[in-house]
Amino acid sequence: MPAAVRRYLALATKEVQQLRRNRVLLIQLMLPPTIVLIIFGYALNPRVRDLRLGVVDESLTAESRQLVDSLTENVNFEVKHRYVRADEAEAALNRLELDLFIVIPSDFSRVVQRGQTATIQVVIDAVDANTAQIAQGYLGLAMDDYNNLNTEAPLPNYRYRAVLARAGIPAPRPGVPEVRAAYLYNPGLVTSWHYVTGIMSIIMFINASLVASALAVKEKETGTIEQLLMTPAQTGEMLLAKTSPVFVLMMVVLFVALGVGMLVFGVPVRGDLWLFAVAGACAVLAGTGIGVTIATFSKSQQQAQLLTFFVNPPITLLSGATSPLENMPEFFQKLSYFDPLRYLVTIVRGVTLKDAPWSALWPNLVALATFAVILFAISAWRFRKQ
Amino acid sequence: MLFRRDKLLILLAALMPIVLMSLAGGTQSLRLRNVPLLVYDYDNTPLSRTYLETYGAALSFKIVPRRTDESPERALASWRGRAALIIPPNFERDFRRGAAPVVQLMIDATDSNAATALGNYAQSLNINFARKNGIDVPSPNRVRMQQRLWFNPGLSNRLYFGSGAMGLMLIIFPALLGALTTAKEYETGTIIQAYASSLTAVQWILGKALLYVVIGIVEFIVCFALGLIAFEYRFPTDPSVLIVATFLYLLAGVFFGMMMGNANKTQSAAIQGVQMGSFLLSMLLSGYLFAIRNIPEQIRWVSSFLPATHYIQIVRNSILRDVGWGTSLQPMLMLLGLAFLFFMVNVIQMRKMQFQD
Repeated sequence: MPAAVRRYLALATKEVQQLRRNRVLLIQLMLPPTIVLIIFGYALNPRVRDLRLGVVDESLTAESRQLVDSLTENVNFEVKHRYVRADEAEAALNRLELDLFIVIPSDFSRVVQRGQTATIQVVIDAVDANTAQIAQGYLGLAMDDYNNLNTEAPLPNYRYRAVLARAGIPAPRPGVPEVRAAYLYNPGLVTSWHYVTGIMSIIMFINASLVASALAVKEKETGTIEQLLMTPAQTGEMLLAKTSPVFVLMMVVLFVALGVGMLVFGVPVRGDLWLFAVAGACAVLAGTGIGVTIATFSKSQQQAQLLTFFVNPPITLLSGATSPLENMPEFFQKLSYFDPLRYLVTIVRGVTLKDAPWSALWPNLVALATFAVILFAISAWRFRKQ
Repeated sequence: MLFRRDKLLILLAALMPIVLMSLAGGTQSLRLRNVPLLVYDYDNTPLSRTYLETYGAALSFKIVPRRTDESPERALASWRGRAALIIPPNFERDFRRGAAPVVQLMIDATDSNAATALGNYAQSLNINFARKNGIDVPSPNRVRMQQRLWFNPGLSNRLYFGSGAMGLMLIIFPALLGALTTAKEYETGTIIQAYASSLTAVQWILGKALLYVVIGIVEFIVCFALGLIAFEYRFPTDPSVLIVATFLYLLAGVFFGMMMGNANKTQSAAIQGVQMGSFLLSMLLSGYLFAIRNIPEQIRWVSSFLPATHYIQIVRNSILRDVGWGTSLQPMLMLLGLAFLFFMVNVIQMRKMQFQD
């Protein structure tokens, strides 16, 4: 056995034993891919429902009740309370007891019966712009429903109209096009898939950087790094020995996370699993690189951990794991190309949810691998310098 | 002292809130804009082009060029677009004949929320097209809605996420610093000195917390200034609510961090605890990203134990809704309760240890 390999094995054994004694670290490695993933998979749900609706019905007639009914037929609205005066509803909206309220004026039924257009007032709490927009959409649909109610019979179907047209009665009315939406990759529209795959990627990357920086700086802090430097081992071997146990552990974490996603949330794996593993390995490498580099810049674990803490949130926020990239301002979209996590998220989703073709995946894989190599090289160079 | 010597820490504590808050407020948005749309027009008539224009003119969609030799399924699988619109041959002929032509819209539903929104959006564009071309004349309006969007008439997402981002910033740093110094005392063993001294547990805890609350207040000022510049913040008429809430929130954050430090006794473990407990949980479960009532009931209780949940609500009440004590009283009491709870845990932790030695 060559000397280099022997030295590496000896160092790796030391690292493994240190890791084995570090129970807290092991627990921390295993907690995120299991419990955390499950909580977030269930908790993250942007769908808007059960909007709390207040009704101020000043008309109190059959017509106004019909209008309220057509609103509440929509499952998204839930009548929370009926008020007599509008300012009571306003106060309730201010107290956050309502999301929106409608005011039906006292002359409502008279105006409708006269065949004129009655106006009702809608007040929406728009602090959450997204929810307010969706509420507007629901309201519009409900209004359309109400307006189409009790109007003339719907148009006869087109065959019948064609018969009429041939008889020369009315000219055929053009047919309204119909949009048929097909939801690819996730026809059941399961919300959790998107987030579970995103969080999975975040966990991989962040955990790798946190653990690596902690281990790398610990020797420096306790002063044992001098003992290490006196051994015949080269810095490269040292770094390799230090990171390889972490690497193996993180790969286990990766597949535990995928297993949880598949078992608990039914996340499909439609593409090649090896691609998932390779991408995961690159991400762990990149994360480790970031972690070790940070460690070389800092004097204590405290500083190292703090620095990782500052590097990681931007990486997470820019990756598109939680919020679609297209929604971001242009500048942030460009910035996201410098985020290695972005590529991991893309590949993980490409492999699990949508069996993306190789031609679309390899640029991402190359980018991720490049990041991994560069970051790891920087860390090796910094590690040697110290 | 510890803090003053650590230049790196000072730099980070001052700089990072600005960078992070810009990111947290600026990148997250659920509103769809410029979604790349691939177009397959197999009819290629004036009418089909008019139909496409309806989509091209919409802000939500952006028609992107496609390759001629690629199927829509493959193009979607390769992220060349988020949706593909397929107009069948004979679109115009069917339209004139009175047979409703069927247009297919394939949507990449990996993000199911965006996909649902896109589907609905396409439906409404379709209706618009029909109305503009003189078909599907809407029945005479019996009722018209007059909408008022309170508190955020421009439906600005920046206002919403920007106000949440401040809550996020103010929980990370104080909690982190609290956790680090406490854990450090255990690591270096200087905690024994605290035990041996005549300090009581309460004095020790409060003395430690005070410094980080002060740092937190500086951060609050920085964040608020940034909010005024970049996130359309407005000054509340009654700032006392926000000020009291910020103080309580910072206390809760520091006590939470110290609790983590006491419990874990090593800095790296304490940081991981804070990262999980304050950053990740607050980011995802506090209402910063999604409304709390969307969270399933089995885990919704977690939100009530996050100081960020209550603080973000108070911030939005003060800055956006500009309402006073009445509305914010309940979250304020919750904040007070949580700060006290974390403080008591600290006291108990310290007491236990003093008896051991």
